[in-house]
Amino acid sequence: MIPMIDFLLIFRILVFPGFTFIFFLALFCEWIERKLEARIQNRVGPMVAGPSGILQPLADIIKLMTKEDIEPRDTKKWVFRLAPLTAFAIMVFAMCFLPIDGASVLSSGTAIASSGFNGDLIIILVFATIANFLLFLAGWASSNPYGTISSARVLTQFLGYDIPLFILALTPAFIAGSLSIGAIAAGFPYILLAPWAFVLFLITMQAELEKGPFDVPHSESELVGGLETEYTGAKLAFLHLTRDVQLVFGSALVVTLFLGGPSGPVFFGLDWLFYTLWFVLKLLIVVAISAYITNVFARLRIDQVLTGNWKILLPASLLSLMLTVVLAIWVYHPFGIGV
Amino acid sequence: MGTNIGVYYHVHTSKSFFTLKAEVPKENPRLKTLIDIHPGALFHELEVTDLIGVVFEGNEFHGHFVLSENWPDGFYPLRKDVDPSKVKLVPTPEREANKAAEGRQVKIIIGPQHPALFEPAKFSVTVDGEIVTNVEPRIGYAHRGIEKTTESRTYMQDIYLVERVCGICNPCHAYGLVGAVEKILKPDVPERARYLRVIALELNRIHSHLLVLGHAGLEIGYETIFQYFWRDREPIIDLVELTSGNRIYSSLITIGGVRRDITPEHIPKIKSVIADLRTKLPFYRKIYNDEPTLRLRMKGIGTLSREDALKLSVSGPVARGSAVDMDIRKDLPYEAYGEIPFKEIVYTDGDTWSRMNVRLDEVEESINIINYALDHLPSGPIRVEVARSIPVGEAVCSLEAPRGELFYYVRSNGTDRPDRVKIRTPTFANIPAFLKTAIGESIADVPSNFASLDPCFSCTDR
Repeated sequence: MIPMIDFLLIFRILVFPGFTFIFFLALFCEWIERKLEARIQNRVGPMVAGPSGILQPLADIIKLMTKEDIEPRDTKKWVFRLAPLTAFAIMVFAMCFLPIDGASVLSSGTAIASSGFNGDLIIILVFATIANFLLFLAGWASSNPYGTISSARVLTQFLGYDIPLFILALTPAFIAGSLSIGAIAAGFPYILLAPWAFVLFLITMQAELEKGPFDVPHSESELVGGLETEYTGAKLAFLHLTRDVQLVFGSALVVTLFLGGPSGPVFFGLDWLFYTLWFVLKLLIVVAISAYITNVFARLRIDQVLTGNWKILLPASLLSLMLTVVLAIWVYHPFGIGV
Repeated sequence: MGTNIGVYYHVHTSKSFFTLKAEVPKENPRLKTLIDIHPGALFHELEVTDLIGVVFEGNEFHGHFVLSENWPDGFYPLRKDVDPSKVKLVPTPEREANKAAEGRQVKIIIGPQHPALFEPAKFSVTVDGEIVTNVEPRIGYAHRGIEKTTESRTYMQDIYLVERVCGICNPCHAYGLVGAVEKILKPDVPERARYLRVIALELNRIHSHLLVLGHAGLEIGYETIFQYFWRDREPIIDLVELTSGNRIYSSLITIGGVRRDITPEHIPKIKSVIADLRTKLPFYRKIYNDEPTLRLRMKGIGTLSREDALKLSVSGPVARGSAVDMDIRKDLPYEAYGEIPFKEIVYTDGDTWSRMNVRLDEVEESINIINYALDHLPSGPIRVEVARSIPVGEAVCSLEAPRGELFYYVRSNGTDRPDRVKIRTPTFANIPAFLKTAIGESIADVPSNFASLDPCFSCTDR
């Protein structure tokens, strides 16, 4: 028997809403972020490549790809080479579980609620952690003191912030009564039912993405280029791409868990088009909030970042979970809200 | 060319100024160190040892302090009888790398090239985990021998040369030399020139302070405030261009007066620009007072007590941030400062936050001073003709540069060239304070603590 080749699935993985779409969405979000950051800081931002500099992130990637690739003598060669690429691949793979056009990339176009499987929320959170760990390895393998310190900070920071992130991600899952991303996204905009968890989740995400005021691994006044110090050429390009996809992934997770994912009004029966549109628009709102937070605060010190995690965010996320459980069991579920 | 070397100690106490003179034989120039009486003399003695060869017992230094590492021992470039053609450079020693120090400690080299330093200097910071346990400085990477070069040029050429000591506070350096020369020559400087000099110096203070306020933001990862301060600094630099003809090197102050006048058409323009800046200051003050992350990174960081500040003889905003009420404009008024009312800004906490707030408040005071000077600008000439040759004599000029007390000593020998010019810059006096306050704090606070001194290495090295 000749195995059936699912061309639709291949198209979904490679082109839309899979790899190609995610790649350009990441570059677009970087452009939005840079432009917003520039306007907040009273600058103009990218201007030259494309209208309003929209092609600048792509131009940067192409430029880096064509640059000479230097490997310092003392690096751990294979880790140094593979870590950036693997981190990028894993981040894109994690994105594939999110219902970008109404269904996860890996399913061939069904309704939002049934597009995933129970437990894929845990899987993508683990993928995000693995990608962070690979970034740590990337800096560690470069055998540069700045890279090493920066890597150590990446590790301390994401180990700490992963715990509140997991706990807070359970809030909408608990109200929805499912660990499937599709079911949560199809449910309700949970920001209305658990706004406190949304705020905490945004802050934790900011720390998880190593953006200001939690960007201690990248504090250039102490650590020069951080874990990227020894990287050049294509490897550096992949590190930058990983960062961009991480940003999109983090924002997409916020959208999926709290803002109702791709749900929204659909016209002319073009559900995939409108689902994608609503998803990207909500995503951009989260990116804008994140850019705003990054730019109105000074960078914290590593000990302040850790204190903030263990003394404030962790207890707060536990409290939030308790509150959610109480509300879900005695208020939301009896009245059929959010299920 | 004599057989003795004179060692002068210029001492500036709270309201008075005096000089101690000592002489040592050139054959065996040794003196007892002052650092056990006054720790602030540490750097000054080391510099004299390196450049002139007077050894201070109890404060010896191995290797070079200011000079390049491949400079041979036994050649002291500031002595009059040194022959440059005889200098044979020795091979450069191996560069120091980051390495493990004793036990758990790691030595991190900050500089000479480092993103936190915009000018070359090196600090070997020993850290235990994240806590700094020792800091060793090495300066001199931008040493250009300006003090020596002044001796082979005329006074008029020297004004332009000493302006190149530092790009940011160049009018202060020009005034330092001019002020000292005028004390020997005693020309009748017109009233109007004295007010124009004050305006030039205060415009310089504003743009220098805005620069460091922004730079400190960059060091604590607050890029937004960096961009805002530097945006507001641009119009002030435009004013410098309007009043002097040049954006940075104003070359305005000269012996006997100033080179360029402010016309009546300029006055409304200057006033509107500084009034515009004044409207923005409450916003910045609000950020410095209320922004929680900024306070976390600046409050209680790099705390220098009043006693230590006096002991280490720090100057300028660093001293005033540590409750030392020392402002040369008030203590020993020069030019028109005695006639202009202004407040001396003193904060008592002694931390990074206080030093930055001193600067923020001084910007407002400078705006007041410029406004007053423009309103009370006397009429008349701006310059008198002076002789090219300066009679034999010596004089000191001390002034309040944006970074602190700038000190010039000039000795003339009756020709049109100086016999000796000594420049003591504020950063040189303030670095010991950083060495003291950095110890025991996190390595992450080193850049912001250091930036709060407003360091300038091209000043320090000369």
